[in-house]
Amino acid sequence: MSEGHKNRFLRPETLSAVGILVVAAGFLIPTTDLRSISALLPAAMLIGLIILSLLLLLSDQRKAAAGEAPEKVTNSPKRVIGAFCLIVAYAVASDLIGFYISTVIAVPTVAYVFGFRNPLGLAIATAIVVGSIWLIFDFGMSQDFPTGRLWQN
Amino acid sequence: MYSDLLHALPEVFALTNFLAVIIGVLAGIVVGAMPGLSATMAISVLVPFTFGLEPLVALGLMAGIYNGAMYGGAIPAVLLRIPGTPAAVATTFDGYPMAQKGQGGFALQVAVVSSSIGGIASAFALMLLAPPLSKVTLLFGPAEVFWVAVFGLASIIFLLGGNPVKGLISACFGVFVSVIGSDPIYGNDRFTFGQLELLDGINIVILLVGLYALPPVIDLLETPLKTDSVEGEKLGTEPIWKALPKMKGYWKTWLRGSFIGIWIGILPGAGGSMAAFMSYNEARRSSKKPEDWGQGEPEGVAAAETANNADTASALIPALTLGIPGTAVAAVMLGGLLVHGLQPGPMLFRDNPDVVFGFMWQFLFGAILLVLLGGSLATNSFARLLNLPRPLLGSIIIVLMLIGVYSIHGRMFDVYMMLGFGAVGWVMDKLKFPLPPVVLGLILGAFAEENLRLALRIGRGDWAVLFKNTTSLVLVALTVAVVIGPMLKRRFIDSRKKEGEEA
Amino acid sequence: MHKLFQKSALVGAFVLAAGAAVAEYPEKPIEVIVGYSAGGGTDVMARTAAPFIEKYLGDGASLVVKNVPGASGQIGVTEVANADPDGYTLGTFNLPGMMARTIDREADYDRESFTYLANVVNDPNVIVTAKSSGLDTMDKLIAAAKADPGAITVGMSSLGGDDHFMLIKLEGLTESEFTIVPFKGSAPARTALMGGHVAMGILNISEVASFQEELNVLGVATPERSDFAPDLPTLQEQGYDVVNGSMRGFVAPAGLPDDVVAKLDAAFAQLASDPDFLQAMKDTANPVEVVRGDEFKALTSELYDLANQVWQETPWN
Repeated sequence: MSEGHKNRFLRPETLSAVGILVVAAGFLIPTTDLRSISALLPAAMLIGLIILSLLLLLSDQRKAAAGEAPEKVTNSPKRVIGAFCLIVAYAVASDLIGFYISTVIAVPTVAYVFGFRNPLGLAIATAIVVGSIWLIFDFGMSQDFPTGRLWQN
Repeated sequence: MYSDLLHALPEVFALTNFLAVIIGVLAGIVVGAMPGLSATMAISVLVPFTFGLEPLVALGLMAGIYNGAMYGGAIPAVLLRIPGTPAAVATTFDGYPMAQKGQGGFALQVAVVSSSIGGIASAFALMLLAPPLSKVTLLFGPAEVFWVAVFGLASIIFLLGGNPVKGLISACFGVFVSVIGSDPIYGNDRFTFGQLELLDGINIVILLVGLYALPPVIDLLETPLKTDSVEGEKLGTEPIWKALPKMKGYWKTWLRGSFIGIWIGILPGAGGSMAAFMSYNEARRSSKKPEDWGQGEPEGVAAAETANNADTASALIPALTLGIPGTAVAAVMLGGLLVHGLQPGPMLFRDNPDVVFGFMWQFLFGAILLVLLGGSLATNSFARLLNLPRPLLGSIIIVLMLIGVYSIHGRMFDVYMMLGFGAVGWVMDKLKFPLPPVVLGLILGAFAEENLRLALRIGRGDWAVLFKNTTSLVLVALTVAVVIGPMLKRRFIDSRKKEGEEA
Repeated sequence: MHKLFQKSALVGAFVLAAGAAVAEYPEKPIEVIVGYSAGGGTDVMARTAAPFIEKYLGDGASLVVKNVPGASGQIGVTEVANADPDGYTLGTFNLPGMMARTIDREADYDRESFTYLANVVNDPNVIVTAKSSGLDTMDKLIAAAKADPGAITVGMSSLGGDDHFMLIKLEGLTESEFTIVPFKGSAPARTALMGGHVAMGILNISEVASFQEELNVLGVATPERSDFAPDLPTLQEQGYDVVNGSMRGFVAPAGLPDDVVAKLDAAFAQLASDPDFLQAMKDTANPVEVVRGDEFKALTSELYDLANQVWQETPWN
């Protein structure tokens, strides 16, 4: 992958600066409904963010013009996205089908997918994790964890 | 009053009461060491159970957990760069570089000794000086507290990192997140978009877990096969009595950290994270070689850990005498006291001296026990735990994150919010936006605003109210000195250098 | 299949045991939803009352307190309003806060959403001044407020709460004007008073009882002297006819079956005169005043009307 034909507007810093700009400007709209004293601090911060992200944008574009390569964000974007999606899926599953079932599935799955493939190790680790959580939080402290919204109705 | 103190002592040594402190310290270390679980969460989970316990057993557990967790937070901060509790953020600055250099064991030993010293100092402040120190709290009205918050915010300047624009973006982001929720005066919503869950603002733990724990977890999974970043074998642990002599040069840092921690503790609202940041900054400023800081300077760990433990017992000074907690944990503990009919106020010391002074002793013993329990046992076993295969460690931390965040209010909404912050945190981490300004901004932003607006109401809209008394003016002067001082010093040194070169 | 068998076996057992077809309420644990975190005033009330309610419900009844904190109690009370009215979900209820929230915010409940069981705590408002203010009688205070309208700063716990309504009543009665300084909670307000940062404060009697030496307590907003601190004079004694306070009690979702209501009401009636309960509440700074059933409902309506009227005249947000 040569850096030469990379679009200078797709540099990560440029993208994030534009992102901050858009989000901050978006949040600025509801501040108009607030009393002026109430809006003072949030508006100041949002305007600050807009100005700062413009500065960031300028300096990154200047670097691009000077031919500096952008800093590499990740070596394996697929793994990062995969990891994040698995974590989100685990949270959603806890919400929908319950914490314990999801955890029993998620701990070995995540570890397996990302390279720890020893079946005995996986089984023992899962048992210890789920067991001690149940023992400490549920049994010991009668904490409730999500039971699964799907089963409730 | 001091005779009451001695009178309370035998009861503290009763088997169950003392056992409670030991169990508390151990539990606290474990809770603090788990990314995602914080002392506040552990104690609030415990409060309903304390109904059925003897007061000193319940309070001993709480005192132990508080002390233990403040140190426990340092363990993952050093080994994984994930602060176990909000107050351990400053510990990552030098603790993690030390671990990478193979001095993780020493870093943890510095942390446990410093934590213990801070805790002991704080317990003594609580035991001996509670009534006079609570008078100090009274001096701080909204205007003065506003200046304390500004002073804290000013220290963001030292946390900006290499790129000031990025650092300021982080700070603005943190402050903006802090204003989400109901307006401090009128109670109307700001940026909640009709979500009741957002009305109380965004809990610091949610943001912290998202920003600090999720990116390292993704890193753990991203580069799965190498296991050399957590070097259990090369942790460099040696018996603590051998490590102690190496620390004798830190006494100034310990003294300063204790003082800062106690001081921040008696002021309501700011808490351990601010104490740790301030202590770190001050220690670096007075260091002979500030350029080593952030590269693995053990004194940095000492500064942060002394201060975050020094604010534990002292946060109870305003809590016990005035009913206003100095930290979030102290707020939960107040609930635990109320459960046993111990109502804060001047009468507390008179009506229930045995329990109150016993509680103070428990803080002291909790801090002392920290060295014994945390020094070898917990530190070694935890370091080994973190030596697990990386994918497995990652998946376990994910489960802990979910539990920790869910348990704050018992709702999934917070978990989803944490994941959102996690995505933001990962991008920030990769693009080298510094994270500490976000944390400080979140803690102090709304706090400063609330007090500013209270002060303005007291002054009936006149901004002059902010400069009306000596305490305020002293704080303003301090802030200016801290911000301008180093700039002048640097310019002075630079010009000296130039002269030297020219000559 | 297995479940079905279990159920029929259970029912069979009940029929045999009771000799009647209907199982007695309560046959499973009752959940009490508290809209605040564990250790708060409302939580302590619920947890202190729970064992006594269990005792008077009899039959091995059990109450499980569940904390659903957030949005000053609104999240918890909304959960109660939307729960099944079967008697197995009760909740704590705060006045005037819960009613004020239906006015100053969007709320998914209103005063018709509940079966009103009993109000248990009535914590009357008190007027206090800072020692440094020199205003040690009501007359001096009102005179100062009239001399320079708005010069007296009043620390209180929030806008739209009992403290706020108390001040509005006082302002209406004396035709005076004050500057409100709404702190986050009453402890910071009290501390600011002790430090002399605000001149006057409106708090509740439980919050000042142990600070009488540090503050000037001018008067209590009750018709008669409170049992909680009988040495404190009422405002009425001094010619200011204001009665106001913060109330905490128990509600259930609207539409509770009559037999369940009757059982719960009987339990609360016995609770009201249990000396152990009264002592436990006194120890945890909860002045008890039990108001049950329809009276409680009428009280809620009255407070709603007051809050609404205040909101129409001077909206606070």
